[in-house]
Amino acid sequence: MKWSQFFSTSIGKKLLVGATGFFLCTFLIVHLAGNLSLMKQDGGEAFNLYADFMGHNPLIQTLAWGLKVVILIHAFLAIQLTIRNQAARPVKYAVKPGNSTSSWYSRQMAVMGSILFIFLVIHLANFWWAMHYGDIPSSTYNGKQVGDLYTVVWTAFENIGLVVLYIAGMIALSFHLIHGFKSAMQTFGFNHPKYNGMINFVGLWLFGIVIPVLFAVIPVYIYYKQIA
Amino acid sequence: MLNAKIPAGPLETKWSKYKSTVQLVNPANKRKLEIIVVGTGLAGASAAASLGELGYKVKVFCFQDSARRAHSIAAQGGINAAKNYQNDGDSVYRLFYDTVKGGDYRAREGNVYRLSEVSGSIIDQCVAQGVPFAREYGGLLSNRSFGGTQVQRTFYAAGQTGQQLLLGAYSALERQVALGNVKQYTRHEMLDVVKIDGKAQGIIARNLVSGKIERHFGHAVLICSGGYGNVFFLSTNAMGSNVTAAWKAHKAGAFFGNPCFTQIHPTCIPVSGDHQSKLTLMSESLRNDGRIWVPKKKNDERKAVDIPEEERDYYLERRYPAFGNLVPRDVASRAAKERCDAGYGVGTSKMAVYLDYADAIIRYGKIEAGKRGEENVAEEEIIKMGKAVVAEKYGNLFDMYAKITGENPYEMPMRIYPAVHYTMGGLWVDYELMTTVEGLYALGEANFSDHGANRLGASALMQGLADGYFVIPYTIGNYLAKEIHTKPIPTDHPAFVEAENKVKETLNKLMSIQGKHSVDHFHKALGKIMWDKCGMARNAKGLEEAIKEIQALREEFWKDVRIPGIQEEMNLELEKAGRVADFLELGELMCRDALQRNESCGGHFREEYQDAEGEAQRDDENYAFVAAWEYKGQSNYELHKETLNFEIVKPTQRSYK
Amino acid sequence: MKLTLKVWRQKNKQDKGQFETYQVSDVSKDMSFLEMFDVLNERLINEGKEPIAFDHDCREGICGMCSMYINGRAHGPWDQTTTCQLHMRAYNDGDTIVVEPWRASAFPVIKDLTVDRNAFDRIIQAGGYISVNTGNAVDANAIPIEKHDADLAFAAAACIGCGACVAACKNSSAMLFTSAKVSQLALLPQGHPERATRAADMVMQMDKEGFGSCTNTGACEAECPKGISISNIARMNRELFSAGFTK
Repeated sequence: MKWSQFFSTSIGKKLLVGATGFFLCTFLIVHLAGNLSLMKQDGGEAFNLYADFMGHNPLIQTLAWGLKVVILIHAFLAIQLTIRNQAARPVKYAVKPGNSTSSWYSRQMAVMGSILFIFLVIHLANFWWAMHYGDIPSSTYNGKQVGDLYTVVWTAFENIGLVVLYIAGMIALSFHLIHGFKSAMQTFGFNHPKYNGMINFVGLWLFGIVIPVLFAVIPVYIYYKQIA
Repeated sequence: MLNAKIPAGPLETKWSKYKSTVQLVNPANKRKLEIIVVGTGLAGASAAASLGELGYKVKVFCFQDSARRAHSIAAQGGINAAKNYQNDGDSVYRLFYDTVKGGDYRAREGNVYRLSEVSGSIIDQCVAQGVPFAREYGGLLSNRSFGGTQVQRTFYAAGQTGQQLLLGAYSALERQVALGNVKQYTRHEMLDVVKIDGKAQGIIARNLVSGKIERHFGHAVLICSGGYGNVFFLSTNAMGSNVTAAWKAHKAGAFFGNPCFTQIHPTCIPVSGDHQSKLTLMSESLRNDGRIWVPKKKNDERKAVDIPEEERDYYLERRYPAFGNLVPRDVASRAAKERCDAGYGVGTSKMAVYLDYADAIIRYGKIEAGKRGEENVAEEEIIKMGKAVVAEKYGNLFDMYAKITGENPYEMPMRIYPAVHYTMGGLWVDYELMTTVEGLYALGEANFSDHGANRLGASALMQGLADGYFVIPYTIGNYLAKEIHTKPIPTDHPAFVEAENKVKETLNKLMSIQGKHSVDHFHKALGKIMWDKCGMARNAKGLEEAIKEIQALREEFWKDVRIPGIQEEMNLELEKAGRVADFLELGELMCRDALQRNESCGGHFREEYQDAEGEAQRDDENYAFVAAWEYKGQSNYELHKETLNFEIVKPTQRSYK
Repeated sequence: MKLTLKVWRQKNKQDKGQFETYQVSDVSKDMSFLEMFDVLNERLINEGKEPIAFDHDCREGICGMCSMYINGRAHGPWDQTTTCQLHMRAYNDGDTIVVEPWRASAFPVIKDLTVDRNAFDRIIQAGGYISVNTGNAVDANAIPIEKHDADLAFAAAACIGCGACVAACKNSSAMLFTSAKVSQLALLPQGHPERATRAADMVMQMDKEGFGSCTNTGACEAECPKGISISNIARMNRELFSAGFTK
């Protein structure tokens, strides 16, 4: 089987979607670890230093661009497969099974993914773009002058609209990952009665609940801190 | 006149000697020879695949949407083979002996011995194809005893042996399709054989999707279209199972052997009402553990569980103490009918007997408790454990019963009644499986050959695959070696045109009647006549009446059947009409055959020929022959007799007491 | 019992098709779903109308021919049950039942509720077999097979090829069907020599037929009348990876 043949099969493509999705999952963990320092009561020192490190380390910067490419590959292949899947049933059923044979979120991966994509664009425009190309205030820690993204974030989350958007984004993330993690494992061929419980547990609790909830807690926390 | 062409010499060497002296066709010539196979069940699929492998150009036809749907798929129990893996004394000879005896001495010794000989190779072949037979923990194949045999020679794949074997043959067939050796025509129905100079040289088929009539040439034609149990309307056959291909072959000159030999299977789910479209078989294996009974009191309206032990009549155990519930199918079926006719039947229709697992549940429960070393176990606990064991062994059958009847067979006994299941009769063939028409062969249930008057459990699958995998690939060469000079005949040959016109004429006629009744109306009427007068018990008076009634019904059919739609597209009613038209002719022949056979043997029970205790009385002096009927026109058949010579197994009265 | 049936009627492949509504009365709880259709068809014939075309044959749940999409469910509401084994006891007086054909571009409608499933045959032709000619086999007990594997192979081999997995999948994916065969033969030592080409060829054929891809919703497994597990899909994926990465 040639590489070209392998990656033109639906399963080869799904392998790529799963693998890119997995890479994005690991990124989420790193990203969350850094973001949690936003809630630290230190005037933003830890977060800003972290942001500066991430923004200027050449290796991380390469990875960061790689990340964007990965997101695009993930989205592109997923859209390609979705279009194909739509075409596989030109005439739809008059009566749909609802949730009797599958969970609603497992059927809405494309919708959740699209919401996430919109969320990402806004998220990147607000913070990443501002950090790199925008005009943001700066702070100095131990003689080192770094951009004060902390303040930008705190200011941004005074806006209840943005907070709501972030919560919505994380809800989408949650459902996308509850199915996505398990589904990727299945695509990779990991399906074994001895391990399925563990896979489901990690998918549901770590990626479906803990990570999205912690992400969502940050804007809510900031918002409450400020109106308080 | 009838020459079965059984090779001379001792029984044990007939087949090997035949194989080593039979004519061969060289590979270059095989490529030029075309073979038509009609039907894709075990016989058809295995034959088409094997012949494709040999290099012949094969065309295979089935009326279903895929070759994998043929009704062999529904066989549950298993397949016999004389492997003696269980070290219990089985041998080729024993399988042969049991089959001849089980067939009530109405089968050919030569054929049956060959069948037993190749039975082992079938298992090897199927395992090599990936058929997942049941295995023991040591990784070797598991066997069970089936249908009352004294050895464990039945190989099985849960209750789906037929399915697994058919899918094995189907995959071999699809492989040949992929390799270009076989061309597959699904949703096609054969409607006539084309004969040129007395030899079968092709068929006329209808494309069931477009309605187009097609002509197909072949140097030989193999009819593998299964049995004709649907002549009874209600049977365990699939809805589409039919006699049409075999009947057209018969009308083209192939003799029909022993048409009246029908197997009525004892353990089927009873009829629930007029809407009933088919009957469902419950595997014979259920009789291994279940006990069959009826109340001792007539018209007992109590629930089964409320009838105390002493008021139950375990009639099989009473009548046949040696074999009990495991007597052969024909005996068990007749005994059930006898009880129901005498007024002891159960259920709303009173045409059913109980198959009770209560004792087995307790027995297994106690064994289970014993295994765990537990004593003084409460009865409920024993029942619970017993139910688990029974579920493990028969769960799928119990589930099926529950789905169909809405009753829980773990709590109350199942109701069962005999139903038409298999037809031992079929196209008469010689040792080479050729019919009386040169170049026209019949394999599997479509031929009459190996089961005599009664087929043993787990033998149908064996015969279908033996014919297809291991017999026809050799025997067909003997004919085709002479045909290598026959160039493919163009299908505009007058014989094809004539045959096609005949088919079209029949279809036009059917479509033009536009009468008042549906096809099913006639089919049901025919089924009732057949079941009442040519079913489990027959008598001369009834059979004579039946012949007249069928003739009248046939006339009415051709005057009053209504087929909606048009011929040039998919028309399921037209398909059914053609099949029922053939059943209406076959039914009459079955009655004629039953009427001429003045004896009771196997599935054929003539009420005039029974002893004081109601057991069947065979007449070896006058009826040890195969009745081969020649078609001579409407209602006009000539009987030819092929005398059966028993050199090895001397006929005795079967006794299961 | 009285029921309202809304049934898809379509004259042929080219016809656009539409729903027709029928009232059926005198439906008994003991009838099978298809027997209820028989009764309706008998009436239609007597009224001089064309009966509804639907595929069916064995009517005991094993041939895989029956194929109705009933009120949004492939083979109707009962689990692990084919249409022919579904009985009217599943319904109540006055119910409305909508019956549609399997919907997939790879399963074009031939007439009414009848679809063309030859795509499945072609997937098997691509590699759903072990290449062993008749007569080549060694003794059946020459290769012992671990019971656990043999049982798993049997569970996969129980597939009846009805297409309910495709019908139930929101993507009309044939992964469950294809994987059942790949799995069966991958689990048995006899199938090993061809396992790489088999997986590759069958998957490529499946894609070529226009079936959708798998998004692991599990609807196929939920609707499969034979309870084929999606663990077979995972196994097929592994088989394909091993073909893709090593062969």
